[in-house]
Amino acid sequence: MTKLIIEKELRDIIGSTKFAVTFSICSVLILLSFYIGAQNYRVAQAQYEASKSANVRQYEGLTDWMRVHSFKIFLPPQPIATLVSGVSNDIGRTIEVRGRGELRSQDSRYGDDPIFAMFRFLDLDFIFSIVLSLFAILFGYDAINGEKERGTLRLTFSNAVPRAEYITGKFVGSFLALTIPLLIPILIGTLFLPLFGISLSANEWSALALIVAAGLISIGVYLSLSLFVSAKTERSSTSFLLLLSIWILTVMIIPRLSVVGADLFVKVPNMDEINSQKSRFMSQIWNEDRTKLNGFTTTNKNDVQALMNEFNKYMQNLADEREKKYNEFAMRLNEDRYNRQMEQQQLALFFSGISPSALFSLASSEVAGTSLKLEQEYLAQSKEYQKEYAKFMKEKTGMNMGGFAMVFRKITDDNAEKPTTININEIPQFTFKPIEASGGIGPYAGYAGVLAAFNLLFFAGAFAAFKKYDVR
Amino acid sequence: MNNQPLLEAVNLSKRYEDGALAVNNVSFFVKPGEIFAMLGGNGAGKTTTINIFLNFIEPTSGEARINGISSHVEPLKAKQHVAFVSENVMLYTNFTAIQNLDYFVRLGGKTQYTKDDYRKVLLRVGLQEEAHNKKLKGFSKGMRQKCGIAVAILKDAPAILLDEPTSGLDPKSGFEFIQLLDSLRNEGKAILMSTHDIFRAKEIADTIGIMRQGNLVMQKSREELSGENLEQLYMNFMAGVYE
Repeated sequence: MTKLIIEKELRDIIGSTKFAVTFSICSVLILLSFYIGAQNYRVAQAQYEASKSANVRQYEGLTDWMRVHSFKIFLPPQPIATLVSGVSNDIGRTIEVRGRGELRSQDSRYGDDPIFAMFRFLDLDFIFSIVLSLFAILFGYDAINGEKERGTLRLTFSNAVPRAEYITGKFVGSFLALTIPLLIPILIGTLFLPLFGISLSANEWSALALIVAAGLISIGVYLSLSLFVSAKTERSSTSFLLLLSIWILTVMIIPRLSVVGADLFVKVPNMDEINSQKSRFMSQIWNEDRTKLNGFTTTNKNDVQALMNEFNKYMQNLADEREKKYNEFAMRLNEDRYNRQMEQQQLALFFSGISPSALFSLASSEVAGTSLKLEQEYLAQSKEYQKEYAKFMKEKTGMNMGGFAMVFRKITDDNAEKPTTININEIPQFTFKPIEASGGIGPYAGYAGVLAAFNLLFFAGAFAAFKKYDVR
Repeated sequence: MNNQPLLEAVNLSKRYEDGALAVNNVSFFVKPGEIFAMLGGNGAGKTTTINIFLNFIEPTSGEARINGISSHVEPLKAKQHVAFVSENVMLYTNFTAIQNLDYFVRLGGKTQYTKDDYRKVLLRVGLQEEAHNKKLKGFSKGMRQKCGIAVAILKDAPAILLDEPTSGLDPKSGFEFIQLLDSLRNEGKAILMSTHDIFRAKEIADTIGIMRQGNLVMQKSREELSGENLEQLYMNFMAGVYE
């Protein structure tokens, strides 16, 4: 019986105008998102390579490692991020690494092209959370009351049709009908990816599969919710209006309000405030150290090289001390800000958890490696790299460069032996290890689990409401 | 032929939540090969009675039985023995006549039919062959009604419930429908039909019941009615002359 109802539902929907419209829109949007994503990836990849080359080129011809004050590292574009961009366009891709000191990312994609920040990119996240959730409502808003209005419910239930099987068939049939306009273009899009110049790793393929799975669960939520509302209301116009309001609330309002709400409960000091405190502290300890310069004495007054080395050593010690104090202070501030930020984030995520669209965005960005963790991961890997870089530079210069320091250097005159140029390629290379899908599987499972629970809850609601539904 | 009643209302009553008494202690039965026509004005309780048989609503007291099975105690079992044609048959407009038949007949538990069987039945109920594979979007009420009757025939249930089946049909279609009912009766079906149409009721029914304000105020067989002016009788009952 359920199979028969599923078949009928599929046939009824597939033959309808709304299916034709949904299929057309989904096909165009999904294929366009793959194409635009591929184009963006190629542009970002070219930019990444160009930035790396330009970074190396600026040191060409240098003869002294002491003149290498910093080295830029870049966040490489990830193919899967073009399909679910998450925060990848919001965070800075470039970090200027010094031997010591804090690291800050800059040059975000949205910073470079603010117009994209205004309207965002077309990606699978947008298609699932906004377009398909709306289509799910369009497929389900009149599932029960529409049948009653059309008069087919009476004839159906004049037969020995168990209500449980009917509502299950309705849900499964509508769900399958909704997956067709989704899976076909996704399949075509993935087949075209190599043609667009993108090759996904096994890890990225599994991430894509998990993203599609989460998307299907999330549209299932909107579908079961539609069934529930349709079984609770007499008229399809009422259920449509109600569901549209719920859609606006869950897709447009709740995700935004959750951040505002979290900000009301947990205040996070802004970066300007933090930087200003750090800057004041740095000036203070720098001024203290300047007075300590008077304490420098030497026994090598006639040997310039020895004097220079001794002074540099003295300065290095001061710088080390200063850095230690500064780092302790900065760490305290950063830690406090980080803790508050995490608290605020958790609260915002908790609030947004009542929005299926937000849950999908969070789940998909977790496995795509474009979640909020991306920036933390990039900074963490940069810090690791900073240690490697500092060690290398110390080997080359004898000092750990970075921050404020006064250094005596010997400049050779024209008669001296011509120095050899340094090989900048000796600097350790930064290789970003993307967050693997398996790394985000825990949070993904959590978000997908909540979505599945919503499915069950709304379906149970629809079932209970339909049990008492007057089919006349 | 088994002579046990296939449709049976036993002291059937329905009082709605607002207190309105829609059906009041109604009892009747329909045996195989019989047509019972329920006459009555709007709100007399005819459709409510049929709705109780189909378990669309539960009786406040009494019982509606189909083939001896209580429709509200074992609704799924009871519905296996009954087919239903409503006043305004509504089918899926995206489907063709044959697709609609296929779905509703299979829903009724019959899976053995071929497309050829569907065509034969559609021709039997008077639907032209060129309409068989057309979507129902452009079908008239009469055409849809024929499809509904075809569904009822193919379900091959021993009992048939008809709620105002000739309402809105043109005279030719109405006449064809009555002929069809006659042939179904001859096949041994027990038919309960609610109608406003006194003349067709008199023409086809074996028993006529008149309902007024939820009460079955008259129940007479064709023989008992012979020589009586049914129209006058009906008007008198409606006016409460015999109360």
